[in-house]
Amino acid sequence: MKVTFNFGSFLSARSVAGDTIMELGQKYNKVWALTADTGGALKQFKKDFPDRYIDTGVAEQNLAGIAAGLALEGNIPFIFGMIPFMVMRACEQNRTAICYQDLPVRFIGTGGGLTSGGGSTHNAMEDISIMKSLVNMTVLSIGDPNMVRDIMLLSMDYPHPLYLRLAQGKQDRMLYEPGKYIYKIGMGLTAREGKDATIIAHGEMVFEALEAANALASEGINTRVVDMYSIKPLDNDLVIKAVKETGNILVLEDHLMDGGLASTVADLFADSGVYPKKFKRLGIPQIYAGFGSGEELRKKYGYDKTAAVAAVKKMLR
Amino acid sequence: MADPKEVKRLQKLAYEMRKKLINLCGSYDGIVHIGGDLSMTDLLIGLYHHGMKVDPTDIKNPKRDRFLLSKGHGAVCMYIAMSLRGYFDYDEIVRTYAQLDSAYGMHPCKLQLPGVECSTGSLGQGLAIAVGMAFSARLKKEAHRVFCMMGDGETCEGEVWEAANTAGSYKLGNLVGIVDRNKQLMTSFDGDYMHLEPYADKWRAFNWNVVEIDGHDMRQIADVLDNLPPVNNNKPTAIIASTTKGKGVHFMENDLGWHAGALSKVDMERAMADIEAGYAKIGGAK
Repeated sequence: MKVTFNFGSFLSARSVAGDTIMELGQKYNKVWALTADTGGALKQFKKDFPDRYIDTGVAEQNLAGIAAGLALEGNIPFIFGMIPFMVMRACEQNRTAICYQDLPVRFIGTGGGLTSGGGSTHNAMEDISIMKSLVNMTVLSIGDPNMVRDIMLLSMDYPHPLYLRLAQGKQDRMLYEPGKYIYKIGMGLTAREGKDATIIAHGEMVFEALEAANALASEGINTRVVDMYSIKPLDNDLVIKAVKETGNILVLEDHLMDGGLASTVADLFADSGVYPKKFKRLGIPQIYAGFGSGEELRKKYGYDKTAAVAAVKKMLR
Repeated sequence: MADPKEVKRLQKLAYEMRKKLINLCGSYDGIVHIGGDLSMTDLLIGLYHHGMKVDPTDIKNPKRDRFLLSKGHGAVCMYIAMSLRGYFDYDEIVRTYAQLDSAYGMHPCKLQLPGVECSTGSLGQGLAIAVGMAFSARLKKEAHRVFCMMGDGETCEGEVWEAANTAGSYKLGNLVGIVDRNKQLMTSFDGDYMHLEPYADKWRAFNWNVVEIDGHDMRQIADVLDNLPPVNNNKPTAIIASTTKGKGVHFMENDLGWHAGALSKVDMERAMADIEAGYAKIGGAK
């Protein structure tokens, strides 16, 4: 699919994933698409490759087990689903059937953070914390929808379990022109240069961070934005560089403030002994959020661009 | 019907295996899941020594039958059945079982012990993994089967029935689920709290071909494995094997205290005598 790039305009990451799984399915006989009744993005795949499409109905634990069995036989199964059920309902299967045996299963989850619109049953605010605690699991969080394709392509040579956290999945902001960057597991990217402070974000919060940086620029504050799409393994060098060059670090994420990227970054400070001048985290507090859009909830719970602007200004005071 | 000489050969192997299990249980300074080991001993001999196409010298052959031990706590039983087939050295199993750096753990680990198809131990997970392996074999048009051994207790887990539903829906004729139906959970008998009956009907309701056998009758075990439907059958097969937990050792049989345990020297001798007597009773000659 040819994409016309316009910064900030919407594209469905789920559709990109659906197109990419088609591309991979054509190229590799070992690629399977699996879903527990959420295969909306897989319409073409199931038509073209019915023998490599498995829909178990609403049975996520079983689906994870089947993925393990396929991977044990040399296949690369991609599981598509909504994050809370993929990550939490099947948590032990993900750990024991997949990660313990270090199998190349790919998890493509939609509805990161509070973007699902379904309320707390469907929100995904613990997933990064849970998935990054599983030994052998790699955790990526992707905001830019076109990045999904590049990551799925590179995953074909990756021999370990891999979790791709997508944002809402249907309406995702384009950030980078396709082909502009080469993405790698264990790397982040500098989405905007700056020297006064750095906002480290992932997923759809990168767009919020860029907007915050624009607002800060109009007040003469030069803010760097790091898109830390690789949360485990973390791009340690990029974080340390930001500390050394900008001093102040704000982590902005659509995840519980405890256990997500902010905690991972704070662990790095503790382990490396390299500390920022000031460190602040904005994200979901210890609460089950009510209903509303992701944008409304980010505002309500104080981790949107306005909150990010205020936090950076306070750090620089 | 299975050749009587073959049945005798298998019975003798099961007898040797029981003695090896008791010897290990008595030698190891800790508990062994001896009750459920003894209940599936005859089945594992039937599988590894008669029914499954496997070759211990060619463990990665894509045409081999696959075996998953969903009741992973019976690992030692599988190790010994495999050692009798030539996969592993029994003395090494006894010497290192569950020790630091041993490949022979209480629950089997594929990455530690090549020859094991899948790491198991968390109950109820094996069947879904077997379903995935059966899907793969069918796509590749391979003729092998995927066998999954379950304990009846673990079929209280919901995932088992999710997987059963998928296997029945997708008509995975190359999948064989075997249930060691010893009618005991770890701490209760079937019927004390959970009522598993009507058991075979449950599998039938999930569109499985169901065969009920006596899981200690070697002729029935050989027969069922010889007469499995073809791999392109429109239903997976469930072998519900009625067994006795602790089979062959009278003080262990149907005693909840022997789900797992350690054997004193005296008990070990009593157990060995029981196994000898049981073998003589079916006309076995050493």
